[in-house]
Amino acid sequence: MDHVDIIEDVIKVEKLVDLVTSPSYGAITTFIGTTRDNFDGKNVTRLEYEAYIPMARKKMLEICGMVREKWKVGNIAIVHRIGVVPVKEASIIIAISSAHRRESLESVHFAIDTLKATVPIWKKEIYEDGSNSWKENTEWKHSKING
Amino acid sequence: MELNTFANVRVLFFAKSRELVGEKETVINYPSRISTRRILNELLERYNSLSVISENLILSLNEEYLDINDDLIINLKTGDELAVIPPISGG
Repeated sequence: MDHVDIIEDVIKVEKLVDLVTSPSYGAITTFIGTTRDNFDGKNVTRLEYEAYIPMARKKMLEICGMVREKWKVGNIAIVHRIGVVPVKEASIIIAISSAHRRESLESVHFAIDTLKATVPIWKKEIYEDGSNSWKENTEWKHSKING
Repeated sequence: MELNTFANVRVLFFAKSRELVGEKETVINYPSRISTRRILNELLERYNSLSVISENLILSLNEEYLDINDDLIINLKTGDELAVIPPISGG
């Protein structure tokens, strides 16, 4: 099963783990990306995300396809949150199950790196002093898409 | 026989490009056969505010990235959806 979603609510990790759990798979790896309270010495109060939703979903499904070409995995769940994401809360959760641990560990690492390089989602950091900044992923800077 | 035809294309703006342009989307009448570089140049002429990030923008057509550097000639048709994509930062 490939489950991808973009939501405006809190992402519940238990829900994603439930989705990928299966009697025939003995390993589940999760990655949770959360909002940090600092960047470059500045205090971050929150992040604001936006997405080109239909294209982002399409690119997330393509990542599921790439994962399946590279590893024998069971179920894949990738959920990204948009809108305001306060400090400590999750903006992205990825959960992948597989029969044994290696495939799920490696494929989750690949999935988050590829998401950062290819999926049209943007974040703006809002600082304590009221200023803000649109961010750029280094994975995107170095990706082929960006020439 | 080659006719000079045009297409009404929906253009979407995201993130910093949306803030600079001041709108989420618009419709632009483009020649049906056009290079990717010219699409971008015409957008920059129409929206001078985008010039501050002109080196960092790419485009997508119908939810697929276009390669700006290769300067391909592409075919546009009415109803197509272009998007202005500033550097991404998901995750």
